[in-house]
Amino acid sequence: MTDNKNCAACGMEFCKGLWRENPILVQVLGMCPTLAVTTKALFGFSMGMATLFVLVSSSLVISSVRKLIPPQVRIAAFTVIIATFVTSADYFLKANFYTISKALGPYVPLIVVNCIILGRQEAFAYKNGVLKSLIDAAGMGLGFSIVLVVLGSIRELLGFGTIFYCEIFGKGFEHWVIMALPAGAFITLGFLVGFFNWINMKREA
Amino acid sequence: MATTLILIFISAAVTHNFVLTYFLGICPFVGVSKRIEQALGMGMATTFVMTLAAMVTWVIYHFILVPFGLPFLQYAAFIIVIASLVQVVEMFIRKTSPQLYRALGIYLPLITTNCAILGLTLFMVLREYSFSESVVFGLGAGCGFTLALIIMSGIREELDCCNIPGPLKGAGITLIIAGLLSLAFMGFGGLVSK
Amino acid sequence: MRNTIKMISVLTVVGLISGAALVFMYNYANPLIEKNKKNEMKKAIFRIFPDGKSYTDETVNGVDVFRVKDAGGAFIGYTFLAEGNGYQGVIKMMAGISPRTETLTGLEILESQETPGLGQEIATDKFTSQFKALKVTPEIAYVKNTKPVNPNEIQAITGATISSRAVVTILNDTIKKIKGKLK
Repeated sequence: MTDNKNCAACGMEFCKGLWRENPILVQVLGMCPTLAVTTKALFGFSMGMATLFVLVSSSLVISSVRKLIPPQVRIAAFTVIIATFVTSADYFLKANFYTISKALGPYVPLIVVNCIILGRQEAFAYKNGVLKSLIDAAGMGLGFSIVLVVLGSIRELLGFGTIFYCEIFGKGFEHWVIMALPAGAFITLGFLVGFFNWINMKREA
Repeated sequence: MATTLILIFISAAVTHNFVLTYFLGICPFVGVSKRIEQALGMGMATTFVMTLAAMVTWVIYHFILVPFGLPFLQYAAFIIVIASLVQVVEMFIRKTSPQLYRALGIYLPLITTNCAILGLTLFMVLREYSFSESVVFGLGAGCGFTLALIIMSGIREELDCCNIPGPLKGAGITLIIAGLLSLAFMGFGGLVSK
Repeated sequence: MRNTIKMISVLTVVGLISGAALVFMYNYANPLIEKNKKNEMKKAIFRIFPDGKSYTDETVNGVDVFRVKDAGGAFIGYTFLAEGNGYQGVIKMMAGISPRTETLTGLEILESQETPGLGQEIATDKFTSQFKALKVTPEIAYVKNTKPVNPNEIQAITGATISSRAVVTILNDTIKKIKGKLK
């Protein structure tokens, strides 16, 4: 009986990051990497995975030691811990996925200031147990990654005619150069947010 | 020498505007751009922090991290410096101008997570700027950020009386406007040809 | 007082553990990163000189130059690294030049952030293949909207004059630095 309730609760914690409290579409956080690296679906995916890694690791560590960190220095402690994981992720990418690392460029270290991560630590990991924080982090990270992949796929498809480097439109397709530019990123995301809101409005009606 | 500095300033502020070209500082850009006074206050505070951050992080990188062979501590060290600077600026504004402090509210501590500041310090290291170049770079980036913020808030104030489709209200329309602004700013691209 | 001590000690411990973790990570990753950089360089060199089998590197007047030898050990040419400002950022490239530094043997764009679809086309074969067997005397030049006439001319990309010109300028500047200084 309690098990069922717990499972349902866990499911809720996980799924909220995917839709109801999606970090990009609802909370409007983490915009910078979302717009910058989604020129190709693969880059969006890599950034999503890197952010997921930092998010889950930081939540794991911080929720484990939360009782030991005094409230006055918590932000400083969070920041140092997050920075450590980000640096590790950055160096790991550079060592093992050199081309992707070059494409993502300076945006991997910028995960440090990705408001999503600090936000989750402050709002959740500092106040909840390890398992719950892990699930919350996983949901948020996954929700973030999914939006990145969707945005990246749209921009790659219209801007280069491919998705994950597979040719979808033939050679005759005239590339929408704007999709590869910052302007295209802004506009596509704007419409994506609008579409998401429209779906929500329809559901509530 | 002066021309390089001027070029760096113009490049950071206009032709390679941090918000519209490099996607840095989007969160406050979308969040604080509803009223022009707010935008101006936020922009000036951010510019101040940016210029200071550029100076301090440059010194730390070149006099501590590099000589001791610790380039990998860069991200951690820089963000700590930025967080501390924001703390100091917050206390300073609280003492000198309580109304500005109230107006900025929660957005002041949020400057810490403004990717533009960390991004600025990272670029400064990547491009191996000298001290004066870094200061001008920080100043230019801050001015560019403020410029983008003011333009956006001006437009959004006008939009208050327009009929925006429901789903696009708020973040949606702001992003689309940002896209159009970004396109416009691209026109500045060839301004500074080397 | 006890509170302050607790705050300081917690921060110190966090800092120390993070620092240690980073040192460990750095030691693991750095050799791999250096290897990756070298591989990238190697690939570019052998794409320019497909017959090349080995190379030695040196610095000439601030420019990284690689002396390439073929399978028999014979010296077949140099490649050099060049970089400079393009339209949107720094363009990094590697070019091959004949032993007597009179003709370019090829060009590889290593890093560029030009406008996709326009300036970024400098990284395509269509543009870089123009640099094979290109004379560098008196210097490399570009023409717009017509086919090149002279052996030292290439055709700039339509709509991307600034990026094309940047490549040409960067090459000319670097060649000037190493010409006559190579043994």
